[in-house]
Amino acid sequence: MDTLLAAFENMVKSASDWMRLTLDAPSTRAVVFGVPIGGHLFLEGLLFVVILFLLSQKSYKPPKRPLTKKEIDELCDEWVPESLIPSIADEMNYEPPVLESAAGPHTMINGKDVVNFTSANYLGLLGNEKLLDSCTKSLEKYGVGSCGPRGFYGTIDVHLDCEAKIAKFLGTSDSILYSYGLSTMFSIIPAFCKKGDIVVVDEGVHWGIQNGLHLSRSTIVYFKHNDMESLQSTLEKITQDNKRAKKLRRYIIVEAVYQNSGQIAPLDEIIKLKEKYRYRVILDESNSFGVLGSSGRGLTEHCNVPIEKVDIITAAMGHALATEGGFCTGSARVIDHQRLSSSGYVFSASLPPYLASAAITAIDILEENPDLITTLKKNIAFIHKGLLDVQNLQILSDPQSPVVFLGLKKSTGSLKGDLQVLEDIADRVLKEHSIFVSTSKRSTLDKCKLPVGIRLSVSAAHTESDLMKACESFKNVTAEKFSAQ
Amino acid sequence: MYVKMAPPADLNRNTEWFTYPGVWTTYILILFFSWLIVLSITNCTPGMAWTIVNLGHFAVTYHFFHWKKGTPFGDDQGMYNRLTWWEQIDNGKQLTRNRKFLTVVPLVLYLIASHTTDYQHPMLFLNTVAVLILVIAKFPNMHKVRIFGINGDQ
Repeated sequence: MDTLLAAFENMVKSASDWMRLTLDAPSTRAVVFGVPIGGHLFLEGLLFVVILFLLSQKSYKPPKRPLTKKEIDELCDEWVPESLIPSIADEMNYEPPVLESAAGPHTMINGKDVVNFTSANYLGLLGNEKLLDSCTKSLEKYGVGSCGPRGFYGTIDVHLDCEAKIAKFLGTSDSILYSYGLSTMFSIIPAFCKKGDIVVVDEGVHWGIQNGLHLSRSTIVYFKHNDMESLQSTLEKITQDNKRAKKLRRYIIVEAVYQNSGQIAPLDEIIKLKEKYRYRVILDESNSFGVLGSSGRGLTEHCNVPIEKVDIITAAMGHALATEGGFCTGSARVIDHQRLSSSGYVFSASLPPYLASAAITAIDILEENPDLITTLKKNIAFIHKGLLDVQNLQILSDPQSPVVFLGLKKSTGSLKGDLQVLEDIADRVLKEHSIFVSTSKRSTLDKCKLPVGIRLSVSAAHTESDLMKACESFKNVTAEKFSAQ
Repeated sequence: MYVKMAPPADLNRNTEWFTYPGVWTTYILILFFSWLIVLSITNCTPGMAWTIVNLGHFAVTYHFFHWKKGTPFGDDQGMYNRLTWWEQIDNGKQLTRNRKFLTVVPLVLYLIASHTTDYQHPMLFLNTVAVLILVIAKFPNMHKVRIFGINGDQ
């Protein structure tokens, strides 16, 4: 190392000696402003000429060289168009069951009455008299809405009433309505998370959140599904590795009840970690609003966490509230920011007023009838107990989650194989026992890697005999299917 | 009847500020005042101070003009993600007034620094390296060229 350094120094020295020698050639010593000038005049003159030459050049735009005909032909020959849609495999040729009546707790398929476990109608409010009545009244008064965005002739008094109602119900300072439940999440995430921000996300989030993350162009870090140790180590690693992390906006995004697994996020631990590492939490309450907690106020009530601790709460109103659209709630500043910067709010037509008034009525019903939640909890506990000893199927969801998720005990080794087995079970349960359930069939765009399963959405409107029938039919079908092998 | 307006010279918010009036003056004043500051806080000769200013100017401009790519703004949709600031100015037009100005500045700085240090080793060497790198990076022929893959795309 030393010899290398010495050699380099020698080289530099000889080079500069040589340079000085050449520069000193005319060696006409003069003194200008107190600095003796040697033969540098030569170099200085040269540089001066270079500068003059540069200044005399005309500016131009670098020409774009057109491709020759041969090159164009080659490029055309090489180009193989990627197909616009993925190639159709056998399992995609699938005819879904067609519903012939409204998707309440019971519905008609092929002229047969079946018990419906596919609608996220947790409180059984779908088709409720009061809800229909408020929809009709609203429809008669306002029509179907202005088809304008909220900021552009789209706001109607029921929207403001609904926003106030939700904020009052949850105890937050303000809330904001979106026209479509799924788009709530993917317009809120890009409204807050920008390029360069750090977003720590559970790997099992639903497609709406995945899309929001993609649109936000933030730095995305995944942690293991509902694993608080993994979350902590991820946060620790980010804080340690990235010195600039303290200056960036940082978010944790979780779902209250995961649509892809039925797990419930331990919010109290997440809040502790968020306060320790100074993150903001965005919580999706789509499957927990109206379900968890003693009065249906969601995960914050369930975990006894003050709602102010969660920075942004969103939920779809198409689940427990049995209308459509979504909302976001939080502090007034968080909500005001969205009114001008959330694309789903600014650019899409406002929620039809009758859906907003239905949401108001649904929250009224929820407040007046706390026994709805007790019934739902009883039903969840009942089906949980009934499905415990089904052959080769196990419950992967939380005992209190309204989304009951049945996975295979013995995986066939591939997601595709598992899905095939589960679809077969779901098919037979529908055909032989008139129980309508769905598998967690994911779109090709969905990047969720969690195991697939059969998803049952339990409702307060299911009777005990419905639930019993469902449990029995699962036992029968799996016993026949797996003992035959 | 309609008011005819000339389109703005530069639509790129990252480089637009360089078309404002007074930028050249400010640039020169900043260099001059940084020389004064270096001279007053470090107890060195004027020549040494010019060398420090020249090298500091090299470090700052090399990083911000020739190394960092893209813009800090999100609304250009990543159009400039592969271009350095130098390649973005004047929409990539070569040998414009601004470009000539930015090329002449390091040359003049070099002249002043070398002259005032009386062409002594090692200041002469460092100044020469700095000016060579800055001027080569500014050649019109080097537009969008990454020699030896330096600062190339991953």
